[in-house]
Amino acid sequence: MLTLKGISRNFPGVRALSGVNLEVRRGEIHGLLGENGAGKSTLIKIVAGALAPDEGEISFDDRPVSWSSPREAKLAGVHVVYQEFALFPQLSVAENIYLGNERRNALGLVDLRRTRRDASELMKKLGVSLDPRASVASLSVADQQMVEIARAMTHNVRLLILDEPTAVIAGREVALLFDRLRRLRNAGVSVLFISHRLDEIFALCDRVTILKDGRLVGTQDTADVTRERLITMMVGRDLGDLFPPRSAATRTDQPVLRTDTISIGDRVRDVSIELHAGEIVALAGMVGAGRSDLALGLFGAVPISSGTLHIAGKRFAAMSPARAIGLGMGLVTEDRKSQGLAMLLDIAANMTGPALGEVTRHGMIDRERETSIAAREIERYRIACRGPATPVATMSGGNQQKVVIARWARLCRSVLILDEPTRGVDVGAKAEIYRIMRELADSGLAILMISSELTEVLGMADRVIVMREGRITGELPGREATEESIMHLATSERAA
Amino acid sequence: MTAIAARLTPPWWLRSNAGLIGVLVLIGAVSIVGATVSDRFLTLGNLLNVYEQTTDLALVSIGQTLTILSGGIDLSVGSLISLTSCLTSGLINGNPDRVLPVVAGVLALGTLVGMINAALVVALRVHPLIVTLGMGAILQGVTLLYALGPVGRVPRSFNVLAYGRIAGIPIGATVALTLCILIALLLRYLPLGRQIYALGDDANSARLVGLRRTRILMFVYGASGFCCAATGLYLAARFGVGQPYTGVNYTLASITPVVLGGTLLSGGRGGVIGTMFGAFLIALLNNLLNFMDVSKHYQLVAQAVIIILAVSIYVERRRME
Repeated sequence: MLTLKGISRNFPGVRALSGVNLEVRRGEIHGLLGENGAGKSTLIKIVAGALAPDEGEISFDDRPVSWSSPREAKLAGVHVVYQEFALFPQLSVAENIYLGNERRNALGLVDLRRTRRDASELMKKLGVSLDPRASVASLSVADQQMVEIARAMTHNVRLLILDEPTAVIAGREVALLFDRLRRLRNAGVSVLFISHRLDEIFALCDRVTILKDGRLVGTQDTADVTRERLITMMVGRDLGDLFPPRSAATRTDQPVLRTDTISIGDRVRDVSIELHAGEIVALAGMVGAGRSDLALGLFGAVPISSGTLHIAGKRFAAMSPARAIGLGMGLVTEDRKSQGLAMLLDIAANMTGPALGEVTRHGMIDRERETSIAAREIERYRIACRGPATPVATMSGGNQQKVVIARWARLCRSVLILDEPTRGVDVGAKAEIYRIMRELADSGLAILMISSELTEVLGMADRVIVMREGRITGELPGREATEESIMHLATSERAA
Repeated sequence: MTAIAARLTPPWWLRSNAGLIGVLVLIGAVSIVGATVSDRFLTLGNLLNVYEQTTDLALVSIGQTLTILSGGIDLSVGSLISLTSCLTSGLINGNPDRVLPVVAGVLALGTLVGMINAALVVALRVHPLIVTLGMGAILQGVTLLYALGPVGRVPRSFNVLAYGRIAGIPIGATVALTLCILIALLLRYLPLGRQIYALGDDANSARLVGLRRTRILMFVYGASGFCCAATGLYLAARFGVGQPYTGVNYTLASITPVVLGGTLLSGGRGGVIGTMFGAFLIALLNNLLNFMDVSKHYQLVAQAVIIILAVSIYVERRRME
């Protein structure tokens, strides 16, 4: 029912998709498999009308289409549940479900009672029990996802696309989701299911299409393909090459940073951790477990509500980013566009941004000095660019990330915190970033890496600390941790 | 039990006017001070005067509330008020027979100007702040091309809009109140109303859900233009003549009641009923300062203090939520 032919799409500095074909049949669950940065998200945005392809043809129901907005795709019956939901936190569950498709009475006015009643019935059909009057902001992530799916059902959905739906839910919730998707399939709806977890692809999908680095690798019946074959298709090389070897005992005995039962609102609760110079500690857990909040708290970007921080032997009850930088700490945030880089400035300006004192002479910026610093870092970290004056907005995600990391690595003397350091970065840049991280640790920094990618956690960490619902649920030595042991700590239901 | 209650959204009249409590408390405070200053302050007669003095600010601010709720702002209101008030008195020019066609024409013109604002925002992908700022400058220029000083006059029958009362109730203010209630109902009961909140809450989600931004903005800015035209008509009626700079102060003044009424400047939350009370609060405050013989200049200072105070209270409340 959906056919894509030769779809290509470029972004500044990156070729996100090149010549991709995809066919989704009526009433099948079709998996879309690939690593981060393989082009999955770009592809579904194109199908959903949120992005236009540079080249290629799309046909839906055997008719060529060119949707110029998500609205047009929706009217045709294509509905997407994005990873970062399209919900309105200030509106209620029922209002969210029927937004743009309001229940009306004979006068054409919004029928509030019917909105609530229909929303309840719809959710009953999906097997969820939510108060339709509850505000969406108060729901768990899994429930928010159900609101999104319920919304799709109110339209005449023909093709439901889910972008990594299991990245934010776990265990029992995943099983429920799969059950609901199978029910939809049996009702004749096609499902395009995006994931990078093989087990899920085998459990749920009829066929699977594999993307790698923006190119189509192939489409397979899940019944005829082995797990190993899929891994090779997806990764295209041995995972071992990706990660640098762990070094022998560069770690110091005295912690450089220690927290004593710190809490941040209700998002981080009574967390006590230690970081030692020379080690890479991974902070694992589901999205929303409070890991990013903890990172921001350590760096002083959000206030700590209780507990104390001990950094380099000194005790702090409050922290601020300026003080943290003074103590030699660095934070590479999750969202480099809004929190990390000045996108319109060039590499040199971004590199010296947080410490202008170093390049200032007689109160003015010494551009020559700034440029030579940038040139040195560009070489050291192998940043692909046209030189220190390249505006960062024109670079690929991986190279932007290297600029941020290089900047902080220069300023950082004690603790470097990296929040999802390889998100949206292609495989080649990933390997580079891993190498840089290991070098920095070996040179005596303590590195705290927040990551939702288990392969990365397993490949990089000397220690793994797992968080769930704001609390530390366990700690594992990096060499002994497995996907299962981490997932267990990250998701296990509260003691029944 | 309380945990469950906290998960529910509050009732609509409270939710869409979260700041309502704040305005009401401030109105109460000003009233108490007023009562101690003069025993004539809290009389029905004085309160009706205050109600009457709310008219112009209420009219502009109701429209402004819509643009702010949708995540934008309208900075062309001042000039549009000047233009419409000049056109009103200039075109009627004392002839009672022209009143109806000119009123209709001016309201249509205001709406059209607002819709042009929306069209420019959509077509040029420029922030409403810039588009309406530019539109404001253009309209002020057009107004000065039409009249460099006071222009035209309006017949006595037209003065009714500003000074008329039925059974002691001011007509102009009641028109504003009626408009406010109509828009409050629209925000609640029309799909369009819901969509205004959604667009202001998260513009990107709104696009992904397939909301028609153009249509929503056309309505929102059209309504703001309509409200400006209504204000222009009212001012022409009140002064009996149109003046090319009569609207200048309304651009920023129109934002004050919106914010006082608890609408988030970033959009997505609030409502017109709060705005109405916000406009009433400002009229009440000015009235109080008149009672206290404080000069007009200090009234501006007092307004400024009130608005900064009110906003800081809202910020604090939101932080605690």
